[in-house]
Amino acid sequence: MAVRVQFENNNEVGVFSKLTNSYCLVAIGGSENFYSVFEAELSDTIPVVHASVAGCRIIGRMTVANKNGLLLPSSTTDTELQHIRNSLPDNVKVQRVEERLSALGNVIACNDYVALVHPDLDKDTEEILADTLNVEVFRQTVAGNVLVGSYTALSNRGGLLHPKTTIQDQDELSSLLQVPLVAGTVNRGSDVVGAGLVVNDWSAFCGMDTTSTEISVIESVFKLNDAKPSAITSTMRASLIDSMS
Amino acid sequence: MSSKTDSIKPKTVRVFDLDDYEKLLKGIQIASCMITESHQIVDEQSVLKRLNALTINGASDGNCCSCCGVGPFETRAQQTAHYKHHWHTHNLKRKLFGKSALSLGQFNSRQDDSSVSGSDSETESTNSKPASDLFAAATRHCKAFFTNKAGQVYCVYRCILHHKKEDLSTDGEGYAWIERCQRLTIPGYQRWAVLMVSGGHFAGAIFSAAVPVVHKTHHSYVTRRGQGQAQSARDQHGNMPRSAGASLRRYNQAQFLEHVQEIIASWSEDLIGCSLVLYRAVGSTNQAALFGKNSPLKREDLRVRALPFPTRKPTYKEVKRVHDTVASIEVYETMELFQKALIAASGKTSKTTDSTVTKKPQKSPGKPIDRAKSRERIPRELPTQMMSSEDEGPCFIDSETPVGWIKALSEQSSKGILTNSRKDLLIDNNSISARSSCSEQGILEEKKTKKKKKKKPEEKQEKLKKIEVKIPANVKKMWKAISGNEQNSLETIIETWEGDLEEACNTQDPTDGNTALHKAAIAAKPDMVTQILTAGGDPCIKNHQLQTPYAATPHHDTRVAFRMFQANYPEKYNYNKSQIPGPLTPEMLEIEKEKKLQQKRAKRLREKEKQVEKNKTNHFLHLTDAQKVKAEMPRCFLCASNLPKVPFEYDSYKFCTVKCLQNHRNVRPLHKSA
Repeated sequence: MAVRVQFENNNEVGVFSKLTNSYCLVAIGGSENFYSVFEAELSDTIPVVHASVAGCRIIGRMTVANKNGLLLPSSTTDTELQHIRNSLPDNVKVQRVEERLSALGNVIACNDYVALVHPDLDKDTEEILADTLNVEVFRQTVAGNVLVGSYTALSNRGGLLHPKTTIQDQDELSSLLQVPLVAGTVNRGSDVVGAGLVVNDWSAFCGMDTTSTEISVIESVFKLNDAKPSAITSTMRASLIDSMS
Repeated sequence: MSSKTDSIKPKTVRVFDLDDYEKLLKGIQIASCMITESHQIVDEQSVLKRLNALTINGASDGNCCSCCGVGPFETRAQQTAHYKHHWHTHNLKRKLFGKSALSLGQFNSRQDDSSVSGSDSETESTNSKPASDLFAAATRHCKAFFTNKAGQVYCVYRCILHHKKEDLSTDGEGYAWIERCQRLTIPGYQRWAVLMVSGGHFAGAIFSAAVPVVHKTHHSYVTRRGQGQAQSARDQHGNMPRSAGASLRRYNQAQFLEHVQEIIASWSEDLIGCSLVLYRAVGSTNQAALFGKNSPLKREDLRVRALPFPTRKPTYKEVKRVHDTVASIEVYETMELFQKALIAASGKTSKTTDSTVTKKPQKSPGKPIDRAKSRERIPRELPTQMMSSEDEGPCFIDSETPVGWIKALSEQSSKGILTNSRKDLLIDNNSISARSSCSEQGILEEKKTKKKKKKKPEEKQEKLKKIEVKIPANVKKMWKAISGNEQNSLETIIETWEGDLEEACNTQDPTDGNTALHKAAIAAKPDMVTQILTAGGDPCIKNHQLQTPYAATPHHDTRVAFRMFQANYPEKYNYNKSQIPGPLTPEMLEIEKEKKLQQKRAKRLREKEKQVEKNKTNHFLHLTDAQKVKAEMPRCFLCASNLPKVPFEYDSYKFCTVKCLQNHRNVRPLHKSA
């Protein structure tokens, strides 16, 4: 089930939150309403953590994360890093990276197994990304855009791409990522799907403006209707690992 | 260049020539370059259908890379390997820059000789412009393009078809466009108004087809003739001038505004009947004249459209010209001709530089400028065509306008109503071919002169080098003598010198720029310095470190030698640039010595006094407290320094500061002190 939510009257929820299969980060300082929506939906399965990055609330665009790890830009302060380390599960690796393209969330899109990155991303960052998040890294563009993180919402079960991605590109990407992909929009026609939507294997949060058509596309591509948290780690994982090897 | 434009030059048809225009309209279609790709529509049905197709075989089978043109891949390993290859990344970047992908072979060969950045500037396939470029040029153009049954291509100004804010869809057949074109033949749609306001000039007319129905011009003195700016614009900069002229212009501006508004108000009924109101009014004051309070014109009105090309001073003649230009349609007989013209227009900037280059040699470069005469106008190329941004008319121009303009002007010139400056312009544009032949000669000549110019400095440098290289043996000998220790040898050299001694003294060492004087100064030899100075060594020459001999010397006596010399021969050199602080006579030297001696004596005295003081304090410190109380000259009991007038004291112990007192007191408990 995809949930509509707003951050202080702003529909770009992907900017202010980060959702993975093992934890959820929510921007600090917004109205507690935003946090409580996440808390209500997720708290019995994964921790929901208040966080900030370099004093900013745009954590969703600054960080990149999956269930294995979390990458933060170099501007993150020591206290913030310490706070995040303390709050996240022990098996999640947290790492700061020195990267010129510091809005990591905009330049990297990933699920628990693969990551699409900006073609100009630093080699070192690519290596750290592969080690920390335990993913296979591919340099790609989405519909001619280098900001793959902004224009892609990805989970282990599916993905939503920029609305102008051609069918050919969708096919290639889904064959590369080994998940079904479709082109679509969120927030009543917004093409920045990465910023308008956060998703993991059993839940999704999108902006308040999202139409029911868009919701139904989201639910069907991310297979949210039949998904339960427990099923993910067992069945899905096995099939994915199977198909990757 | 001229021959090229001649071949492309299109036929012109006015919208009002109904027969011709209707002929054109037969089988009208929107030109293919105008048709945009229809947007990908995301609707639920198609997405769900696609998802169903996907879920049947899990991930889709599109396992190839269309970017590089590879695949299908046989194994997953091959696929991932390809996507991680530099070749793929390189092609991705090339695609982003709108270039075609490289094959693996091409990539490898290129990698050998250059770094793989993907953004390296290459000049390949510039001749064959892709269709996307043509599309970009066409959609940004201020004209719309159509084709008809006869295969003709023609361009109509967008502004007579639609308002900028009306976005006629160019998807599919473009019926909206065709309907707009056909509508122009209806007489009601041929009633247009043209209004122009600028710099205190107003000109307006309402045309029914090609015939002006009403027209009016008005002029007020509002621009500052000397500075060339409207008075209101000048006033916005802050302190408003209060001259008579300024206030006159301000008054005129207000009057002008009122008057123009009156004119437009009186035309309000005529304007309602117009299908199109074209205007040019740049800036808020000019727009206020047209759209001000109670004006029958509204900016939101879709009939009210800005002119898409720059215009001249608003006059009735200009209004007619503008109307004529807007109504004209350029007709190209075939698609190829049109494309050539369009591409030529987009690549115009490079050509203009050529033409300016050819024009240059005609000016005689050395000729002094006669400021009394008005300068010849350089025919500058107008800015490239873009879709108009806001109401500012002249920010873009249609590429065909100059041609049309010139045509209109040539008609006028045949009637003999053309001013000189305009004739110049005409000649400039029309007789480029005639000029190009003579300008070629000009180019050659210019090249020659350029070569000469280049040669001159080279020659100079060569000469310098020769001088530097050839240092006479005797000069070297002199230098050696300076660096050596024997005073007499230099003397003998100078005495027995043959030739120009002065020049020899001032010869600079090519390695560090030092003259003989520098060498002597650096070697700290005051006698030699005096000798060389008398022999003619200039103390103003600077070495490569920009030091004069005086500044270069590390030695006091040598510096004194320079100053003594200046005192002895104040006229011999110009000492201003030698950095010598001033002349020094022997008397002054004596006085200085005396001063120094006195200073030394004073210093010694002071030291003695200090020593005595120290002894006293030491002595005092060693006394017991009881003795201190009895001492003739009481000092601070703790540190033995001199007491202030009113000392700090407790029990008869005296101290210089409170701190001393406290310290003393803390050491000795109270009961003992009592």
